[in-house]
Amino acid sequence: MAKRDRSSSGAPAAEIDMTPMIDIVFQLIAFFMVITNFEQTQADERVKLPRDALAKPAEVKVEHQVVLNVGFYRDMKGEKTDAQPWLFNFVDGEPVLPLSSGSQLKKEAKLFANKQIDIKDVVVKVRADSEVQTGIVQELIKLCQDAGFEKFAMSAMSGPEE
Amino acid sequence: MARRRKQSKGEKLETNMSAMIDIVFQLLIFFMLTLKIVEPEGDFNINMPAQGTPTNPSDDPPFPDIKVKLRANSDGTLARLEFGTRNLGNGPAAFEQLNIEILKVIGRPGDPITKDMAVEIDADYQLHFSNVINAVGACTGRVDKRSGKVVKYIEKIKFKPPTIPG
Repeated sequence: MAKRDRSSSGAPAAEIDMTPMIDIVFQLIAFFMVITNFEQTQADERVKLPRDALAKPAEVKVEHQVVLNVGFYRDMKGEKTDAQPWLFNFVDGEPVLPLSSGSQLKKEAKLFANKQIDIKDVVVKVRADSEVQTGIVQELIKLCQDAGFEKFAMSAMSGPEE
Repeated sequence: MARRRKQSKGEKLETNMSAMIDIVFQLLIFFMLTLKIVEPEGDFNINMPAQGTPTNPSDDPPFPDIKVKLRANSDGTLARLEFGTRNLGNGPAAFEQLNIEILKVIGRPGDPITKDMAVEIDADYQLHFSNVINAVGACTGRVDKRSGKVVKYIEKIKFKPPTIPG
C-alpha cells in the first residue's frame, strides 16, 4: 500500500503549486500600475477636471513637464468649502495662491536651465478645476510666460460631457 | 481495493476552490483600482510664447483670427457664446453650433490652409474654466461618430489677455 501511494501520488506532488506565485504577480502588477499612474500625472484629487470629447490622451510622452493643479477645497460631497482656488502640490506640498506662484515658477525655470534643458521643450500642464475662474488660469499662464515657459497643455477628462 | 479506488475517485471530484477564489479576488481588486484611477485624461496643447515679442510683419497671418467670445453670468456660468458677432446662445447646443460654424469656415477638415488659421478666445474673467475647455474642444475638431477618431479643424488657439473686472 505504501508503495502504491508513493508511486501514484509521487508524480503529482512534483508539480509546483502556481497559485501563490500568481497571487504575488498580480499584486505586483496592480501595485506598479497604481504607482506609475500617480507618478505620471501628479494628479490631485481636489481638481475636478472639465470634460470634453476632444481631450484624447497624448500619444507621445512628454519628456519635461511642470504640472499645475488648480483646484478647490471640497467636502466629502464634492461641494466647495472655499471659494478661493489654490495651487496644489506645487510648492513643498503646501497649497499656494495661484497668483503668488511667480517666484516659484521662475525657480522651476532655473532648475530646467541648470539641467541644460531648453525651456521651450518644457510643457506646462495646467490641470484646472472646471469651476476655476478663467481669468485666474490666464493670469497663471501669464506668470508662466514671464518665467519663460512657452508650451502649455490644458488637461480635461476625455469622454462626452455629463 | 475496489472500495479504496472509489474513495479516491470521490476525493478527486472535490475541487479545491480556495485558489480560484484567491485569483478572482485579486482580479476584482486589480480592476477596481485601475478603473478608479486610470480615468483617461487628455490634453489640449497650446503654444503661447510671451507676448512681449512683436511678430514680424512679413509673417502676417493670411487670415484674420476667428473671434470666439464667451460671456459669463456673475456666478461664472456661461451667459452666451459669440462667434464673430453672432450669438450662439449657451449650453451644450451652443458649442455644437460653434463646431458647425468652424467647419463652415475651414470648408474641409485637414485642408493645409487650416494651419494658418487661428481662433482667438475672449473669455470673461469669472467664467468657469470648463466652458473654455469646451470652446477649445469645439474649435479643434470633432469626434467622428463612426470611427471614433478625431477629425481636426483648427489647432492654433490664442487667448485674449484677461480683462480684470472692475
